[in-house]
Amino acid sequence: MKKNAITIIIASVLLVIFVLLLFTFQVRQSEVVVVSTFLKPTDTITNAGLYVKWPWPVQSINRFDQRVQTFEDKFAETYLADQSIMNASVYIGWRISDAKAFFPKFPGGSALLAQRQLETMIRSAKLESFSRHNLDDFVNSDPTKLKFDETETEIQASVQAQLTTNNYGISIEFLGIKRIGLPESVTTSVFDRMKAERNKYIADAQSHGEAEAANIKSAADRKAADLIADATADATRIQGAGEAEAAKLLGVFQQNPQLAVFELQLDALKNSMNQKSTLIFDERWSPFSLFQNVPIGPTSK
Amino acid sequence: MERSIQKNGLVNLTVALVIFLAGFAVTVFAGSLAGQAASVFLGLGVLVTFVSWFQMRLEVNERLEKLELDELARSRGASLFEAKDAGSFPARNAREQFEKFILPGFAVLLLVLEAGGAWLLWYWSGKNPALLKEASATAALSLFAIFALLLFLFGRFSVTMARLENHRLLRPGASFLLAGAYVCAFTALGIAGVEAKYPDADLWVARGLGVLLGLMAVENLLTLLLELYRPRVKGKVVRPLYESRLAGLLAQPESLFTTAAQTLDYQFGFKVSETWFFQACKQNLPVLLLLQLAVLLLSTTFFFVDAGEQAVREHFGKNAGVYGPGAHWKLPWPADRIYRFRTEQIQSFAVGYTPDEQSEASSLVLWTVPHAKEENFLVGNRASATVAETGTNAAASTKPVGLISVSIPVQYQITNIADWVYNTATPEDFLTSLATREVVHYFAGSDLNEILSSGRLEAATALRERIQAAANERRLGAKIVFVGLQDIHPPNGGKSEVAKTYENVVSAGQTRLKKILDAEADAIRTNTLSEAQAFAVTNIADANRIRVVTAAYARAALFTNQIPAYEAAPSVYRQRLYLQNIAAATRDARKYILLVTNTQDVVIFDLEDKIRTDLENLNITNTP
Repeated sequence: MKKNAITIIIASVLLVIFVLLLFTFQVRQSEVVVVSTFLKPTDTITNAGLYVKWPWPVQSINRFDQRVQTFEDKFAETYLADQSIMNASVYIGWRISDAKAFFPKFPGGSALLAQRQLETMIRSAKLESFSRHNLDDFVNSDPTKLKFDETETEIQASVQAQLTTNNYGISIEFLGIKRIGLPESVTTSVFDRMKAERNKYIADAQSHGEAEAANIKSAADRKAADLIADATADATRIQGAGEAEAAKLLGVFQQNPQLAVFELQLDALKNSMNQKSTLIFDERWSPFSLFQNVPIGPTSK
Repeated sequence: MERSIQKNGLVNLTVALVIFLAGFAVTVFAGSLAGQAASVFLGLGVLVTFVSWFQMRLEVNERLEKLELDELARSRGASLFEAKDAGSFPARNAREQFEKFILPGFAVLLLVLEAGGAWLLWYWSGKNPALLKEASATAALSLFAIFALLLFLFGRFSVTMARLENHRLLRPGASFLLAGAYVCAFTALGIAGVEAKYPDADLWVARGLGVLLGLMAVENLLTLLLELYRPRVKGKVVRPLYESRLAGLLAQPESLFTTAAQTLDYQFGFKVSETWFFQACKQNLPVLLLLQLAVLLLSTTFFFVDAGEQAVREHFGKNAGVYGPGAHWKLPWPADRIYRFRTEQIQSFAVGYTPDEQSEASSLVLWTVPHAKEENFLVGNRASATVAETGTNAAASTKPVGLISVSIPVQYQITNIADWVYNTATPEDFLTSLATREVVHYFAGSDLNEILSSGRLEAATALRERIQAAANERRLGAKIVFVGLQDIHPPNGGKSEVAKTYENVVSAGQTRLKKILDAEADAIRTNTLSEAQAFAVTNIADANRIRVVTAAYARAALFTNQIPAYEAAPSVYRQRLYLQNIAAATRDARKYILLVTNTQDVVIFDLEDKIRTDLENLNITNTP
């Protein structure tokens, strides 16, 4: 009996808890709740707290996150006004501004489905806005010429206008360009150009190096030639001075010119002979004249 | 009593049918996979309770028929009803026919439904893993819990009745009701799991129930096979073919308790199950469970916040305050709930790169060696701006743009927890998006070469300020502690080797300096040698001068002294000089002396130089 009483107590407590769960619901501060009576949205609760309702299926509650939700669209290729091509993606912060209007627009009030619809709108608005701008509105070494803010405002205004017109119950809180880039083929070309630019600097350094080296070498050669030429000139002058000084003694030879000339001839003869000289004499030449009238002795046998 | 049992069977059937229909409706509206599995189970329970109730009716009719016939026999004599033909016992015949044909057929149907149900549940849950509608989840949870409670009460009553009165036909339905209670409880737990942010809980409960159905099908098949070979002994009470032992085991978990007790007894060698502790646990199990529930609920009335954390307390969903580290009181769940966040801790995310373990472990970071998965950012390029033209098609490819790889770690702290929690659904992702946007924007308006060199420090500071301003504008409640340009370089990897060409420029600068230094070394060498050569030429000339002058003086002196000798014997002196000099001058010359005169001989001299012997032995080979 006691056991049954405990079982009944436990069962009753559990029953009360589960019945309370059926009749009450909480709304978190981050949520907005749409109460539906027989599947018709009848009330929207935005303030956090504990509320009472008829049990399902009479009344059902649909919870939505009323905080800003963010997502990023696809990194898509876009044609610009100056016929450039650029890839771009934007991030979006949106919130459910009117849950009652939002709920029936998407099956089950799905935020994911809403996000997909929103993404379609944003892509369209993005292409339209980008097509009005040039590449240097997005990439420019002069930051004052960038038009990021202007483009973001254009896209946000365009999407918000559509959402408001069709009463989606969604508001775009902010929108920003998250990534920009170039298509792969253009990127390759930019890489090639950047490499060419560097190669220009390489060629500049190489040719300047060679030129400067050649200049230094030629200057050195010229200086060397100058030095040697000066030295040769000095040498000639010194030689001349020597000759001049030597010439002062020529008067001594004038005392007996015959002997002097004879001696000069002998000097010339000595200087003109060398190892390879071949001389052919006959017996009349002194001292070979000694071979004349040489008594011939008996022939040995 | 028989009437009471039959009534009990009918109540079981009614309860099973009502809860099956209600459960099915809840499942359809809530889209719970576990609910679908529970519905299949409850549906089978309806069939079993119906067949058992029907069989009870047949048995009751048979007994009534027998009583009536016995009564008639006593009043009119036994001979009249001694005939034993089939037509004399319609109720008994009906029961026999039912047991002979209908019950096996029903068991086969049950087998098909269990096997088919198991397969369909597995297949269906695999194709539709998440069907539970968030809006109906709480209601579905409550209703399945209530179903579990009702089935438990009715099932428990029926099981006890069946055991006390040993009524075999009440047992199958009662077991199914009680097992249905546990199935509904598990279904409610699966839905609660989804509510508690475990989205796969519903799926896994559904799959578990599908496996249970499969096991029941296997058990049913084995029962059917064994039935074929069962010895038919007259008068022996037959167990109903559709009674599932597995459902019975599920319905009476205390039998598991008994089995565990027996195992303990065997293991310890004495009657553990007869100790006061074991008996107390067994007898007070519900009280203990209740106590545990109470302790569980009590444990939700206080909470601890760790160092470096802050917690938000929500009272019925409303922000009721922020709490720092320490112990704090609160109302029990579900009135108050706590959400903790790491506020003091420095958190970080990366912009422009995805860190990987291998590159993080490496002690060397080079431009030309990929060290993380890096993105390229568009950046202005003033150096190329002069070649850009606008308004032409060619202009598109000649825009002054460059690409740069940047690794930027961003560190932050949560400073305002309410803003962080309640303004944005995914604040971390949002902050990353904001930071990426600011980085893209900043680089797009910068010059490539400046950002690579002198603009680097300025960029880090500017980016931190910009990201902080953007976070403040969006009321994120975060403080940007640090933004670092830890790695910034021209793109590399894949087909691009731009970074390599940047290194090559530096190499070329060094090569240029080397060439200049080589030339300067050559110049020094040339100048020094030429100076030496010039010095030598001058010196040689000077030496020659001295030699000429000295020789001239010597010769003059000699001549002065020769004059007296000459004048003394001019011809002799001349001859002597001549002979002295001719001998000295021709000492090394080749001399031919012709001693024969007045002849007509022709003498031929070969005055050609002889070829050197080493040239004769020169070996010349043709090389390709």
